[in-house]
Amino acid sequence: MSHFVSPEDPLRDDQPAYAAAFEGWLAAGPAAFRDAARPIVSSERRAAATRELMRTLFDDGWSRYGWPTPAGGLGGDIMHRAAMWEALARHGLPTMAMFEHLEILAPTLVAMGRPAFVAQVLPTFLRGQECWSQGFSEPDAGSDLASLRTRAVPIDGGHVITGRKIWTSWAGYARWCLVLARTGSVEDRHRGLTAFAVDLRSPGVEVRAIGQANGTDELAEVTFDGVPVGPDRVIGDLGGGWRVAMHILSHERGTFAWFRHCLLQGYLSGALETGSPAGAPEFGSPAGDGALGQAVLDLAAVRAASYAGLRAQAADAPLGVRAPFVKLLLCAAERSLNDWVLESDPTLALGVGDDHAAVAWQEYLFSRIVTVYGGSQQMQLDTIAKQVLRLP
Amino acid sequence: MNAALDGVDDPFLEAAGQALRAAGDGPDPLTALGWWDLLPDLGDRDVRAAALALFRAHGRELSSSVALGALLAQPFRASAPAAPGTLVATIASSAPGRGARLLVVGDVRGKVLLIDRPGHGADLVAASDLELRPLAPAGGLAIHEVPVGGVEPDRSARLGVIAEREAAPARVRARFLGRLAVAWEILGAAESALALAVTYAGHREQFGRPIGTFQAVRHLLAWARTDCAALGSVAALATSLDELAPARYDEVVKALAGRNGRRICEQALQVLGAVGFTTEHRHHAYHGRVLALDALLGSSAELTHGLGAWVRETGTDPSVPAATLWSSPDRS
Ligand SMILES: Cc1cc2nc3c(=O)[nH]c(=O)nc-3n(C[C@H](O)[C@H](O)[C@H](O)COP(=O)(O)OP(=O)(O)OC[C@H]3O[C@@H](n4cnc5c(N)ncnc54)[C@H](O)[C@@H]3O)c2cc1C
Repeated sequence: MSHFVSPEDPLRDDQPAYAAAFEGWLAAGPAAFRDAARPIVSSERRAAATRELMRTLFDDGWSRYGWPTPAGGLGGDIMHRAAMWEALARHGLPTMAMFEHLEILAPTLVAMGRPAFVAQVLPTFLRGQECWSQGFSEPDAGSDLASLRTRAVPIDGGHVITGRKIWTSWAGYARWCLVLARTGSVEDRHRGLTAFAVDLRSPGVEVRAIGQANGTDELAEVTFDGVPVGPDRVIGDLGGGWRVAMHILSHERGTFAWFRHCLLQGYLSGALETGSPAGAPEFGSPAGDGALGQAVLDLAAVRAASYAGLRAQAADAPLGVRAPFVKLLLCAAERSLNDWVLESDPTLALGVGDDHAAVAWQEYLFSRIVTVYGGSQQMQLDTIAKQVLRLP
Repeated sequence: MNAALDGVDDPFLEAAGQALRAAGDGPDPLTALGWWDLLPDLGDRDVRAAALALFRAHGRELSSSVALGALLAQPFRASAPAAPGTLVATIASSAPGRGARLLVVGDVRGKVLLIDRPGHGADLVAASDLELRPLAPAGGLAIHEVPVGGVEPDRSARLGVIAEREAAPARVRARFLGRLAVAWEILGAAESALALAVTYAGHREQFGRPIGTFQAVRHLLAWARTDCAALGSVAALATSLDELAPARYDEVVKALAGRNGRRICEQALQVLGAVGFTTEHRHHAYHGRVLALDALLGSSAELTHGLGAWVRETGTDPSVPAATLWSSPDRS
């Protein structure tokens, strides 16, 4: 497949045609996909296999659709990305791993970053070479994000950043961190913030991995000790960090649900495959049919609601009040699906079984914390009560 | 109307609400709305959405009509010689220990009833030939039981018979449309119950402030609103996809409607406190309507369990295929 930006590109202009063509590519069973679609318990090996898949998807052009050409893409919109990841998940890719940030952070980078910087970093991210992380939370600023204290002090030719970020997903695998830092006073709360792209290889940066209760090592703590950043690394406006953060969070809560729920849907299909010699699915028994039915309903809800969100996004309509609903529905689906998995096989908790079982246990445990990241369940409910129901 | 109710930008929903409120003993609101004229064109997405909006309005207004039976009968129309606006299907219902029953919704005087007999075609019977027994569920659903004796009219009493060959496909289509309609009606009733509770939370004071300022109360209402959003999204997608929807999607919609509708009403009731449990407050009517509708065309419990069993036994992915979404007509 050769790719150049042409005035007419049927795959760009006709998203169903793109989806069908990508399906054909997957059906041929490319090696990079097969390797990434296996259950892999080790985070390092998972990261390597996913990077390799991303390199192939970029080199063959597929992952460049959905991104603007000035940023190294081939044009098209979020519907292209939605189709690519949906197909990958349906064919058995279990996770986006570090590339979750392609759908959480990258849309904001493209919308608000300096164009030359975006053109430099997006292709290397898409190709799996240089990944990104999100530096919002701090030890003393969780739900109350606007109380964060990491400081960016102006110097000649930029800023110097000092502070500590925590729960920074994938920082151990990333080259870049989008850091929300205080350029105003603490009393300014959300008005005194600026977003910076910080190179994690800079002197003064330290990344410490944090072990997770499910055995994966996605989380990290990142310390910044007088780290210089140039003016071209500001995302959005100086003092406009809150707007950047809200743009990112509307994707993390809104459109990201499409991508994540596709993985859940694929996970369910995989769990029901009749792989065992007895011809029985790996999971499930009549006793669990009620729980499975609940998961089916919750998955249907998040699919319908997040699809509507995708369409709104593609039409440039604001996600607005949709985002907290979609986020809550995603959490509900992730929980009820994993409730069913554990009910089907309580021995997962004993650590018996093969890699499938080990990954299922990791997924189960992770599903218990999904109601915290990206704004906790309580914060989403608060938003709905205030902004949708307009309660006093 | 308050912030818990959306769909205000839906002109047919507004019009349907007005017609139902104006009806009283006056003209048939379905005729006034031109609703009967929509039935032959349900294949058209906009017509379908308009026809189904009536049911959401029914839920909001707690009114009843023969519309559900007419919708269920519509797929049989090609094989049923009945004048437009006269054919109404009965609804089968059964419970272990209570046996099978036939029900009709709305005022069926002068109508031709279609009695579906899965495996044996369907019969057409004049409603006037049957003795209908009124039931009185909470929520004002005008529902009658067709006595068991009336289920087997002697051949001479039948106005017509539809062969199983023709009835079988019509039955599948009827169930899809009927479940979708009931799901919309559940949404209409449940969101109205929520709206009452939201208003109440803004006025009712305890500890010197409105109860709607307490986070525990706010979160109950926000959960209920989320359940409304979920049901609205799924019902809208099913309405838009229609025959492109995957197998058993009507069961997904109806099961979700029953589950979410009941949860919404329960949260609303908790916020209302004791007054919500009285006949002096309207909550019980909406709540009763939701519960009555859950019992029609497959309850949430029964459908949810059945879906789980089907997915497990067949390994089917029950979701709307992505390719269907990508090529669906409502893509802007
Ligand atoms: C898997 C995972 C990945 C993450 N990845 C990232 C990342 O990449 N980048 C990043 O910046 N952060 C990340 N986070 C951090 C996440 O954003 C925070 O955990 C979240 O904002 C909550 O903050 P906290 O954990 O400090 O909890 P807290 O804010 O201390 O909250 C603890 C509990 O109190 C409740 N609570 C707090 N305030 C209120 C209130 N006003 N009303 C009612 N209840 C309240 C919360 O809902 C929660 O249940 C991640 C977290 C997890 C679990």
